[in-house]
Amino acid sequence: MPAVIVEHLAKSYGDTVAVREVSFEVQKGEVFALLGPNGAGKTTCVEILEGFRARSRGRVETLGVDPADTSTQRWLRARIGVVLQELAIEPYYSVRQVLNRNAGYYPNPRPVEEVIDLIGLGEKADSRIKRLSGGQQRRLDVGLGIIGNPELMFLDEPTTGLDPSGRRETWELIKRLAGEGTTVLLTTHYMDEVEALADRVAVLFGQEIVASGTPDSIGGRDVGAVTIRFRLPEGVSAADLPMDATPADDGHVEIHTEDEVPVLHELTGWALAGGHPLAGLSVVRVSLEDVYLGLTRSGGGPGGDGVAAS
Amino acid sequence: MRGSFRGPSDLPLIGRQVYFEQLSFWLNPIGAAITIGFSVVFIVIFESTSRHSTVGYLAHINLGQYYLPAFVAYGVMAACFNILAITLVNRREMGLLKRLRLSPLPTWMLLAAIFINSMIIALIQIVLVLLVGWIGYGVTGPHDALLFVLVLIVGMLSFTALGVAISTLVPNADSAGPIVSLVFFILVALSGLYFPVKAGSGIATFTDFFPIRHLIVASVDTFNGIPGTSPWNDLLVMAVWGAASIFVSVRRWDWSPKRG
Repeated sequence: MPAVIVEHLAKSYGDTVAVREVSFEVQKGEVFALLGPNGAGKTTCVEILEGFRARSRGRVETLGVDPADTSTQRWLRARIGVVLQELAIEPYYSVRQVLNRNAGYYPNPRPVEEVIDLIGLGEKADSRIKRLSGGQQRRLDVGLGIIGNPELMFLDEPTTGLDPSGRRETWELIKRLAGEGTTVLLTTHYMDEVEALADRVAVLFGQEIVASGTPDSIGGRDVGAVTIRFRLPEGVSAADLPMDATPADDGHVEIHTEDEVPVLHELTGWALAGGHPLAGLSVVRVSLEDVYLGLTRSGGGPGGDGVAAS
Repeated sequence: MRGSFRGPSDLPLIGRQVYFEQLSFWLNPIGAAITIGFSVVFIVIFESTSRHSTVGYLAHINLGQYYLPAFVAYGVMAACFNILAITLVNRREMGLLKRLRLSPLPTWMLLAAIFINSMIIALIQIVLVLLVGWIGYGVTGPHDALLFVLVLIVGMLSFTALGVAISTLVPNADSAGPIVSLVFFILVALSGLYFPVKAGSGIATFTDFFPIRHLIVASVDTFNGIPGTSPWNDLLVMAVWGAASIFVSVRRWDWSPKRG
């Protein structure tokens, strides 16, 4: 049974449409990312799945129950962990105190000391929260999300505002949770975050899902154009190459192709025969960012139409 | 069974939540000292400067006998209205209410703990103010202890509801202190906290509309047993304001930041 089922979800505030006709599923143990620009409806979707906000239409199940059903909300909230988009922690408690407080709400919490270790705040366990750096506060925020030992985590832009090392640490934590079998629903603006963490991703744009798939294949990324790039060998011009190449910056050239294997075969054969080094040789498919920008500019992928959500 | 919650039982959980509310209050010692100390400092100032004055229209009681119950009423209002409203706005705007709403802690338990915390702070102020008045200045009372306690209980409930209601009207954390405190301090001054305001005067006619004056008047009357007075009308006005505040709170309450 999937951890999350969303079918034809819609939410409006008066005449303002926040989400329209959104459908997707998140399998147990999966890291699923919702990617989209501000105002696309990511947070609204997540809040409906958490039972925080009521939907206007559609069917939603979170861990097998309707999150809007008040009779099962306490049960559901004991099994989900939430990290909000913005930091929400009382400033005067110590790290240990606030984790202790929240642990008491859950039937089967993680040990507080284990969570302190997981979020790397062992040396700050008795420090007041207001004295922690922004990154440390964000890690504590994640710690509060996992203190209840959740089956399903909602992470709403969990690394926004973190420095690069803070982001990496948070990614490691999320990977560890996923490795333990926790299902993760992540919203983010960051492509590298999706590539590092997500098993599957859906792009929300214009209040609906315009594409979904794995990070490697979304929007036809796995079958789209490839760019072969290298520095031109000394004494060689682009015209000497065995195929058409476009000059790029720093003395590099680029070859654009949809069928890279024969092109590479021909190129490397030519280089070996002539003793030409191909410094900085790289083969790059269209990036996730290119796909995302294509989807969110036109509502369809760079290779064509948006892919229907699974 | 899926959907059926098995977890911490309610009574210990609410006690634990009140403990953490109190802990949060005392972990900010400057804030706690100002909150608790304000009424104590003011009762000392007012009692020290009023020992030889009497209030003619209140059976010529000593002014010190007036100020003590008036500042007890102030303690109730400050904790249950002023501080509660500002706390709720700040927590809402910081996302703290939303985070706790998403935990398994039942909503009623979270709100009850916040309200009980306000009442504990009010009780601490009441006890301190009474001790200062009794021991330091020889003030006597309450004349009718049961009615006095009833007035304070109704005051706590009514002003707690008012505090919640006004918190729903404040759009952001920056304006919480100025809006709530401005309204509160103007009304407590006009309602007779710093100087007795005779019933029927222009100011009294205006402030009679609000519950603040009724709590001060009922507190002074029952503490001193002023002949010919009765707190029931004051209690009724406070109850009506409390009920109206509950109505507003239920309609306007939001767990999410308004960021207005």
